[in-house]
Amino acid sequence: MKKDKHEELMELKHDAVPGYRPVFLVVFAASCAYMAYILSTPAF
Amino acid sequence: MTSNYLPALVFMLGGLLIPFLRGKAKSIYMMLIPVVGFINLLGLPAGESMFASFGDFNLVLLSIDRLSLMFGYIFHIIAFITVIYILNFKDNVEFVAGFFYAGAALGTIFAGDLFTFFVFWESLTVGSVMLIWSRKTRAAQEAGLRYLLVHAFGGLVLLAGIVFHYTETGSLAMSQITLGNLSSYLIFFGIGINCAWPLLHPWLTDAYPEATIGGTVFLSAFTTKTAVYALARLYPGTELLIWIGVGMAAFPIFYAVIENDLRRVLAYSLINQVGFMVVGIGVGTELAINGACAHAFNDILFKGLLFMSMGAVMYRTGKINATDLGGLYKSMPWTCLFCIVGAASISAFPLFSGFVSKSMVMSAVAESSHIPGQGILTAVWLVLLFAAAGVFHHAGIKIPFFAFFGHDAGHRVKEAPLNMLIAMGMAAFLCIFIGTFPKFLYNVLPYATDYEPYTISHVLTQTELLFFSALAFALLLLGGIYPAEQRALNIDSDWIYRKGGKAAYAFLANTLNPLNTRSESVVMSVARGTADFFKDAYARIYLFISVNFWLAQDIKGKRLELKKQRLYKQLLEGVFPIGVGAAIAVSFIGLVFALT
Repeated sequence: MKKDKHEELMELKHDAVPGYRPVFLVVFAASCAYMAYILSTPAF
Repeated sequence: MTSNYLPALVFMLGGLLIPFLRGKAKSIYMMLIPVVGFINLLGLPAGESMFASFGDFNLVLLSIDRLSLMFGYIFHIIAFITVIYILNFKDNVEFVAGFFYAGAALGTIFAGDLFTFFVFWESLTVGSVMLIWSRKTRAAQEAGLRYLLVHAFGGLVLLAGIVFHYTETGSLAMSQITLGNLSSYLIFFGIGINCAWPLLHPWLTDAYPEATIGGTVFLSAFTTKTAVYALARLYPGTELLIWIGVGMAAFPIFYAVIENDLRRVLAYSLINQVGFMVVGIGVGTELAINGACAHAFNDILFKGLLFMSMGAVMYRTGKINATDLGGLYKSMPWTCLFCIVGAASISAFPLFSGFVSKSMVMSAVAESSHIPGQGILTAVWLVLLFAAAGVFHHAGIKIPFFAFFGHDAGHRVKEAPLNMLIAMGMAAFLCIFIGTFPKFLYNVLPYATDYEPYTISHVLTQTELLFFSALAFALLLLGGIYPAEQRALNIDSDWIYRKGGKAAYAFLANTLNPLNTRSESVVMSVARGTADFFKDAYARIYLFISVNFWLAQDIKGKRLELKKQRLYKQLLEGVFPIGVGAAIAVSFIGLVFALT
């Protein structure tokens, strides 16, 4: 088995890319509203 | 009665010859076993049976119907693919154990009575434990032992249920059982352990990632699927299964997201998928049972494919943690491609196998929810929808992303060996083929069906779900909210057993050990005193008689004391004429006789 040098991490963090936190929050809020609307329709 | 062979024995006995072969002959022989088994199976049409006498029992070793045949087909297919996958390994124990295990699974699904079913069910445990121990690491040994304990317990529960069931009904038939009396619950619970129901599941996530690379592929195919088969055979339409299945589908998602070991992620994912099958069996309609069986068929293929791809990664890099992997798509492009096919299938992308079976279960739940009084099934449908999104999240995206993309861990390795690629390619082909031409799968299901998965409603619902799930993953990752992969042990419900077991041990140690010590001291002091007495009892008795005799002769004082000492010494040393010794012995025996 051939192995090159590689990094072994204790923790693989996922740092935020600037600007995406607000995008996430907006999409999350919109999704919740959309789901609430769907669940409240008589067809469901 | 059939003239064909018992499918189980083709594998179990065939596997025993493997250690005697070498080189290419060995490889060809290993591939021939499932091929011969499959040809043998094709000669066993529905309705065939095979009997054997055991004492007063007439055991049904083989009973073929559409349900068992479907599982028989897929067990042979996955055995053949797995054998190709492990050809480059050298461990005979793993080979023999794998074939024994596959044979036991076939014996279980073709068993026509509960006793035969139990015998093969326990054989499954033997084969699977050997596969775990074959890895020969300390962690594997310990996990295998825990696996053995859990399944031995489950087997005893099942056996107790079968014995009570026979006592109550006088029948060992493998027919539907209604939950109600003790025996029905014991059998239900015994099967539930192998099915990895919530709280009974830690054996799976504990042991599967510790098995050998090929062993995990074998394990993912048989134990839980034979349990699904048993539930479909014995407990179809049992409402309790719906709630158990919902729990199985939902809870593993959270563990899978935070788990670092990618084979353990797949183990959680396995429980999640079996949850869909259990729900289908609980709903119990023809569509639901068909959906459960079809999903078992597909899961064996795509879960096997995912385990094979992670096994190939592990084989080449020696690593399996997300923290140690990443960027392998450059070095292992084919493995990456096959992994993505497995991920798309398990996520139920249209044109992949998971789509045509998962939508059957979802449709069956949705249809049943419209029946008056069954409105609660709408909640079940919603949870399954959430679980389907979760599957895409952890198995569909996480597995390929952290192994082949994500951060580059720096591994520059060769592509997986050719035999592994061929095996993965076969599984990937079947995933796409079944997803594209589902009628081939529908033709082998227990009930005839004209179900059409590719309706606009199904495709749109599923595609929408998958894209929103992908969007959620991307935004969670980019927003820095996605949990970090950590080199850590996650506490699962085995915490209850581990801590409970330690507490029970401490309680027993603190109560039974002092009692044991006290009892020992009492018994030992009595024993010691008795032994001390009998050590020179004859001398004391004879001395007592002699002293009284001397007192009668008026021998007193110092002279009496000297005579006593001399006699006692002589008695202990045994320096007496034989006649005196015999007289002492007779006196002693007489005294004992008088006392008793």
